[in-house]
This record gives sequence, C-alpha cells and structure tokens, in this order.
Amino acid sequence: MYKALVGRPVEDAELVTRAQQGDVAAYQELVRMHQGIAFRTAYLIAGSSSDAEEAAHEAFVKAFGALGRFRRGKPFRPWLLAIVANEARNRRRSAGRRHALALRAAEEIRPGDAAPSPEAAVLGREQLGVLLEAVNGLSEEHRLVVACRYFLDLSEAETASVLGIRRGTVKSRLSRALERLREEVPAHV
Amino acid sequence: MFELERELRGLGAALDFPETPDVASNVRRHLPERRRAAWPWRIALAVAIAVLAVGAGFAVPQARTAILRFLGIGAVQIEFVDRLPEVRPAAPLGLGTAIDPADAPFPLLRSKLLGNPDGVYRRGDVVTLLYGTPERVRILVTEIAGSHFTPEVGKKLEATGTHVEFVPIRGSIGPGVWIEGRPHVVLFPGGPPRLAANTLIWTNGQLTLRLEGAASLMQAVEIAETLE
Repeated sequence: MYKALVGRPVEDAELVTRAQQGDVAAYQELVRMHQGIAFRTAYLIAGSSSDAEEAAHEAFVKAFGALGRFRRGKPFRPWLLAIVANEARNRRRSAGRRHALALRAAEEIRPGDAAPSPEAAVLGREQLGVLLEAVNGLSEEHRLVVACRYFLDLSEAETASVLGIRRGTVKSRLSRALERLREEVPAHV
Repeated sequence: MFELERELRGLGAALDFPETPDVASNVRRHLPERRRAAWPWRIALAVAIAVLAVGAGFAVPQARTAILRFLGIGAVQIEFVDRLPEVRPAAPLGLGTAIDPADAPFPLLRSKLLGNPDGVYRRGDVVTLLYGTPERVRILVTEIAGSHFTPEVGKKLEATGTHVEFVPIRGSIGPGVWIEGRPHVVLFPGGPPRLAANTLIWTNGQLTLRLEGAASLMQAVEIAETLE
C-alpha cells in the first residue's frame, strides 16, 4: 500500500529552522522525510521514473538554496512540493509525452506494505482497471487533480501548490473531474 | 466519504508507483558543508517590514483616502491608503496598444519558463507581456523604463488586508516587493484604475518589473529570476 509521509509540522519546523541556520544534516533529514511524496508527485507529472528522480533531486537542491525565502510558521511540504512540481513540469514539457498510470501486479507486495485498506478492498481488480482507464482518459488537468487528492492523498492546499492554482480552482476542477468519472463509469451515476 | 472517492483512494493504493530512490544521499553530495545563514539580510527585512507595519497601522479618520505611507520600487510607487479608490467593475486591463515586440522602446526581457507571450502592449514607456487572453489573463509581466524620480506606475493598497513582504531576487539591485492578499488597485499612465491580483515588483538593470498572476511567491520569484 502507498505510504504517504504525513506532514509532521513540529518536526518539520524544527528541522527547517536548523537548516536555515546552516545545518546541512537537518536538511538531509527533511529530504529523507519528504523524498517519498516528492518523488511520487514528480512521477505523476513527469511521467517517468528517471525524470521523477532527477526532478526530485533538483528540487531538493534548489529548495536548500531558497530556504532563506521560506516563511517560518508556514507548512514546509506545500512549499517543497511546488518546487518539485515545477521541476517535474519542466522535464515533462521537454519530453512532450503523457504517461498512463498502471495497476500493480496482483501478487506484488512490497516490503513494508501494509494490509489493504478498507478503501482498497471496495473494488475488485477488474473494476479497479475500469476506473483507472477512466482516470487515464481524463484531460491532463482533471487527471492530475484527481491523482493529487486521491492517489497521493495531498490536502487541497498542497494540491493547489503542486498544480500552481488556487484552492477554489482545486475544488471546482475536482468536482468537474468527478462528474466526468461518474459519466464514464456508469455504476457511479 | 462518497463511494467514488473511496474507490479512487483504493485505486491509489493499488497503483504501480516505482519505488522511491534514495534521493537524500544524492542530494547531500550536492550541498555545501554548511548553508550560509542569512541573518543580516533577515534582520534588515524585519526592520523594513516593521517600518511598513507601523505606517500601515495608523488610522486617519479625518481623511478617508489618506496616504498612510508610500514606498518606491524603481518606477513603481506603492501607496498605503485607508480606503481604495473607486474602481469600475470589470475595468479593462488598460495595457495600451498592441505592438510587435520588435517595436518596444527597449529590449524586452523574457522568461524561458513562460515562453513567448500571447500579446505585447505598450503605453508610453510601459510595456506589458500578456500570457493568456485579455478576457482570461494567466500572467502579466510589465516592464517599465524610468526611475523612482518619475514613477510610471502607481499602486494603492489598503493598509489592512493586504500583505506586503520584501523578498530577495537574484539579479535585482535591491529586494523585490511581494503584494498578496486582498486585491489592490493598479494605475498605469493614462489608463483606468483596476484591481490587481498578487504581484511581485522588482528591478533589473534600468528596468522596473512587475509580475501579476503568479499562484505563489515561490513561482513568482522563480519566473523573476529567469527573466533575461
């Protein structure tokens, strides 16, 4: 199961303060805490594992240089993810491709994976495939807003940072995307 | 939670995301031993912001449109007022006449992040690059020739409700100013006053630059630092 590194605001704030004062080890710990969500975000946007790794790497290096501009008291993760998304978009634009998300092999369980969540158990594999096909068939802006909110479990604010749009736009775009999915997958009408 | 949303979360759990690589170790190799702490800069900003905050905090009941404090960034004058001037709803952008970029009065700066603008407009020594359409503006980059002795563009901010922050911009002589929060009023020379969204203002060589429409300060700074 996908394990998001849920933001730990207090720890983030302490590490950011130390990193702003020059503590590189504190920054490395921040990178370790957020590299999972950064990489997945970049993967959704850039569309390939190598581009996503490069984008996440570059974003963390740039974020380190920009720490002086980070406003204390604000959450670190949305700020970081905005940088990650920019780097990923630059790579996707140059490659000019669009990738389709795929299901994991049924028997594949990765080390550290938790038991399937109640949500995961809602649909059978075939139904998951139908729903995924519908998501992959959405326009890019609808696909990304759905992916950010439900696949990466990002908050509205984080989704807004990643997509470079306002929170109100996240809501309206998500609502339209869900409408489209209900049309495409008739069981949900 | 609605059924479809539950199912989408379930789908997320079943997706084939590649395993996360060890980004942390690679990043560490590209960082210096210690980050240079920017305390002198921070203290300077804090003082500057404090001065602004004091100015903005005054109440002037006798003069309903009083200027509480003003601030010049290159050719842009920012005024803190207690009440915004009347603005016509859906006032036009007032960017001036559409021109060919080659006819601009000075060499225009462009950002590789934004690419070619969808339109270029001129009003005196003020040239604006429009990204999007006049009806549906995505980003406006305004390039202004002129100095603080002869301000070309004016901005009026409500003293409360609008957040103003000084930010360092690579390539800028002094700090830039980020205006965020409630819409403020912008006045181009000879143009109608209109409401403006979040804006970054900074200087680059002989030009004063103004970026309107960025979703965040980070995005605005990133665009600003790629203008060349």
